[in-house]
Amino acid sequence: MAQVAAAAIEPVVLPPPTRHRALRRFLRHRLAVFGLVTIVLLVLLSAFGPYLVPYDQLFIDIRNRFAPPFVSAHIFGTDPLGRDHAARLFNAGRISLTVGFLAMMISIVIGTVVGAVAGFYGRWVGAVLMRIVDAILCFPSVFLLLALAAFIKPNVLTITLIIAATSWMEVARVVQNQIRSLRERDFTVAAEMIGASDTAIIFRELLPNVIGPIVVAATLTVARAILMESYISFLGYGIQPPMASWGNMLNNAQQYLTSAPWLAIFPGVMITLAVASFNFVGDGLRDALDDRLDAQ
Amino acid sequence: MGRYLLGRLGQNLVLLWLVSMIGFGVLYLAPGGPLSQFALVPGMSQEDIARIAAQMGLDRPLPVQYWEWFTRLLTGDWGRSYRDSQPVLHVIGSHLWATLELMIAAILIAVLLGGWIGVMGAIRRYSFFDYLATIGAMVALSIPTFWFGLVTIYIFSVKLGWLPPGNRYTVGDGSFWNYLHHLIAPALVLALVEVAIWSRYMRAAMLDVINQDFVRTARAKGLPERQILFRHALRNALIPMITLAGLQMPTLLGGALVTETVFTWPGMGRLFLDSLGYRDYPVVMGILMFTAVMVLLGNLLADLLCAVADPRIRLD
Amino acid sequence: MDDTMSKQGSLMRPNRRRLMAMGLSGGAAVWMGPKLGWVGTAEAATPPEKPTGQAVIGMSQEPTVFNPLMLHIEVDEGVYFNLFSPLWRPGPDGNLIPDLATEIPSVANGGISEDGLTWTIRLRDNVKWHDGTPFSAEDVKYTIELINNPDFRAGRRAGHELVRDIQVVSPTELTWKMAEPYAPYPAILSWTFIVPKHILEKEADPNTAAFNNAPIGTGAFKWVERVPGDHITLEAHQDFHGDGPYLERIIFKYIPDMTVLYTQFQTGAVDYTGIQGITPDKYEEGKALEGRVVQTVPQPFIENIAFNTGLPVFQDRAVREALLYGMDKQSIIEAIYYGLPTPTESFLPSQSWAYNPDLPQHEYNPEKARQILEEAGWVDSGDGIRAKDGVRLEFTNSTTAGNTTREQAQQFLQQNWLEIGAKMNISNLPPAVMWGEYWMMSKFETAMVGIGFGIGPDPDATDFLHSKSIGAKGGAGQNTTQFSNPEADKLLEEGAAVTDQEQRAEIYKKLQEVTRRELPYLPIFQYAMVQGIKAGLENFKPNFAVQENCWNANEWYFSS
Repeated sequence: MAQVAAAAIEPVVLPPPTRHRALRRFLRHRLAVFGLVTIVLLVLLSAFGPYLVPYDQLFIDIRNRFAPPFVSAHIFGTDPLGRDHAARLFNAGRISLTVGFLAMMISIVIGTVVGAVAGFYGRWVGAVLMRIVDAILCFPSVFLLLALAAFIKPNVLTITLIIAATSWMEVARVVQNQIRSLRERDFTVAAEMIGASDTAIIFRELLPNVIGPIVVAATLTVARAILMESYISFLGYGIQPPMASWGNMLNNAQQYLTSAPWLAIFPGVMITLAVASFNFVGDGLRDALDDRLDAQ
Repeated sequence: MGRYLLGRLGQNLVLLWLVSMIGFGVLYLAPGGPLSQFALVPGMSQEDIARIAAQMGLDRPLPVQYWEWFTRLLTGDWGRSYRDSQPVLHVIGSHLWATLELMIAAILIAVLLGGWIGVMGAIRRYSFFDYLATIGAMVALSIPTFWFGLVTIYIFSVKLGWLPPGNRYTVGDGSFWNYLHHLIAPALVLALVEVAIWSRYMRAAMLDVINQDFVRTARAKGLPERQILFRHALRNALIPMITLAGLQMPTLLGGALVTETVFTWPGMGRLFLDSLGYRDYPVVMGILMFTAVMVLLGNLLADLLCAVADPRIRLD
Repeated sequence: MDDTMSKQGSLMRPNRRRLMAMGLSGGAAVWMGPKLGWVGTAEAATPPEKPTGQAVIGMSQEPTVFNPLMLHIEVDEGVYFNLFSPLWRPGPDGNLIPDLATEIPSVANGGISEDGLTWTIRLRDNVKWHDGTPFSAEDVKYTIELINNPDFRAGRRAGHELVRDIQVVSPTELTWKMAEPYAPYPAILSWTFIVPKHILEKEADPNTAAFNNAPIGTGAFKWVERVPGDHITLEAHQDFHGDGPYLERIIFKYIPDMTVLYTQFQTGAVDYTGIQGITPDKYEEGKALEGRVVQTVPQPFIENIAFNTGLPVFQDRAVREALLYGMDKQSIIEAIYYGLPTPTESFLPSQSWAYNPDLPQHEYNPEKARQILEEAGWVDSGDGIRAKDGVRLEFTNSTTAGNTTREQAQQFLQQNWLEIGAKMNISNLPPAVMWGEYWMMSKFETAMVGIGFGIGPDPDATDFLHSKSIGAKGGAGQNTTQFSNPEADKLLEEGAAVTDQEQRAEIYKKLQEVTRRELPYLPIFQYAMVQGIKAGLENFKPNFAVQENCWNANEWYFSS
């Protein structure tokens, strides 16, 4: 997954997109629309689902463990402690989606700022910033995850921060590469000549041209963060029981693959839906913001 | 160019030194230590643990330990593993081949299959094939490898008995066919994700090129479509793919942790996680330095290729 | 350790139905009552004339240390038992069986003097190292001296430190003096494997000797190769002094994931599951497999909740007792562990000669728990959680993260205890953190942990229960609950100094009463491991006194 965010590396120069055309192109992208609808549904389900299920996600009923799905009031069956699987699944969605969104926002902001500054100021500032990025990229993500997690008590916020901390570097590299190329273009030089401030040039002239790759990186980061959270659980620093995330539900179901497959299938489908949807939306946005496609 | 290269190499050396210092500090300061795993061994006491920590020099101040490790590293001595007291380079070497074997097989499948899917997807954009490939790639990217591996073993080994349930070879049978037979399932499972990634990259790269002027010019000249696509477009689209391959080098050597676990493959990913879990400091530091060199070289290579491909980028 | 930690479950005293099922499933072992445990039956099949066949043993941890005197974990011992020999080894009934020695020294046979200070060891004269060199008393002397060598990273020194003045009388006899009588020493020697003097004395630094990765021993199998991260191969040692070996090769295969280990066992890639065996939820499924024998074998570990009694909330015995009454132990064992382990009230395995079967039986009684807390002054602080003098009945519970079964038990207890007004939060940690300072220096609040309290077959638990063993207070042992009780201290000291077994048993029975009353640990069950063996691989014997299950591979053979 690590390389996915780099998908936007190809240097693409975009004039500011025209809103309506972009929207039209997005809507033309059927998978992107499907993805958007699915995301909205998942968010609604996570937000309101727990109120629709007549069970508390934490209530243990040990005599009723491993109830299969679709045969009783436990619509998605029960887990190894007899807890309602549907209630846990929806509550887990809150955690997984929150982690995904927040981690994306944080890493995009950090990555964009670092990348833009490094790309714009070139020479010293740029070199130093990018070498810092290089240095952090030197550490395998498992190492960063374990190192950070070892010092911090795991909860939704800290796990989000940890994931963000390990995923902003690629955004920074992508943005820096693009800005570095853009700032030599005529329109930047022109803006400099009329005396626009650096901030204005960065935000008004340069960043809008990089928005495409950033949006793509953003959607990919959401998907990656959701999977990363499950990876952290796998390493033993994840969300602590009895709270559930899609990732740790899937991990814990591993040994019941043949005896109680629904324990894995439901969270697995949720993760697949979420990750795929975000990727579709990313694809769609990428195309939508690429004006050249209309030439076809 | 030459000056730039020298400068970057110099910067990278400084970076490596920084990485070693930060890595060492973080590793040693993180709670827990290499002796925790022995705490519950029957008969083990706090006294034994304290004595062994002193014998291993773990009770000395951090800077002293770092300085000793660092100066030894400069003389080519990477230290010895706490777990099996073998030299670190030997430990890394003994896991590297298994990883390379698996990775090269997977990447080959990925480049060929993924490349083909990507090119076809770009040429027939929004066709049924394109949708299918896109959906397939997304699903592949979101299925946790652990699951996919287990299900593969369950179907092809437990139920059908066609493939071995993991392992690199049958002990006592070192034949080429035995290795190959064992390689099929893990290589395919690992390749699934790689195919997905490469097909997305390839599609994107192809799309970029197809719309560029020289392709239109070629079309205008009336060259056959096949020739346009494969001689002109594909060739240019391959440039970013080479960059990508460079960037993937560290991943290639870093191993595929999950695939290695499911298929009991004795590779680098497993080694790193086990070493980290046991806090085998010398091995963790060794792998860290090893991958750091790879990442820095990969990045440098990528930047150089970028500059070659796009002359507007100033190397400074 | 990880083993105890991630160990998933087990059984011991099987009910009648299970016993019958096991008898039918392969006849490899028979339950001889609580004293004897599982004992191999005289199979119709007989071992082959010369070593034949190979057995692949799957293990979820990797053996990496091959100098048996150095710091190591249980999986490593599985290799040692086959590569090396101790003076005597622990038998399945808890008694010692002579190996390199011809007899177990005792006051009765003159091996130990009346005052317990002078020991005489007599050795076999037909033992050869794998390189052909004859084994002698010099090797034993060298081994004990190496353990005490300050430059050598010896794993455990307890007991050996007391040995003085080792004299080699002849190649088959040696004597030494003890600084003080120490009853557990024979048990300690049963896990002390003898290393070759003629190889190691030539090495400049025994910590990094070539021997450590190409060991030479006196065991039934000799070293062939190790592929790091993958496997270790041993082959039959034809000149072995004991019974066997009957297998041509044994292969220890590292399979990090337990689900994968089971799958490999299922497909036949693995003949035998070593540590950690099979997860309890696969027990029934495994027994139904054709051509596979799946059984449970007792282990010496006791699963318990350890309290940090240094904390104000746990200084009140009423709290510890109420939590025990509030624990639905039955459901934990029956449901979460599939009824496989045996409930226990003691810190000793039920097979031990010092086990006390007459301890008060646990009863799940939340009403009684609430009553005890009320009487002790722990009353509802308004939110359903009790408090007393500003101390809330709220604490964290920790264990190795990622152990699914244990996490289920934790969550179940969480609900149990909330019902009596105690709030437990779960905070699990990776093993390297959990069992480091956090555990050793009593920085945890409560822990869910499997501990082998005794020393092999010996019930001495000084390390865990004596007040001088509190690491957090500068002590040398592993009394991490900071349990400090004068009566227990006195019993432990007596138990280690007296050599007569009958007398010692009485002392340790009293000690079990003390711990059952004072409850520094809430005992839950004694572990047993679910173990899988390919049908036809005969003669495995379970042994509660060892930490792994490859201890008698020299006697294994394939019946064909």
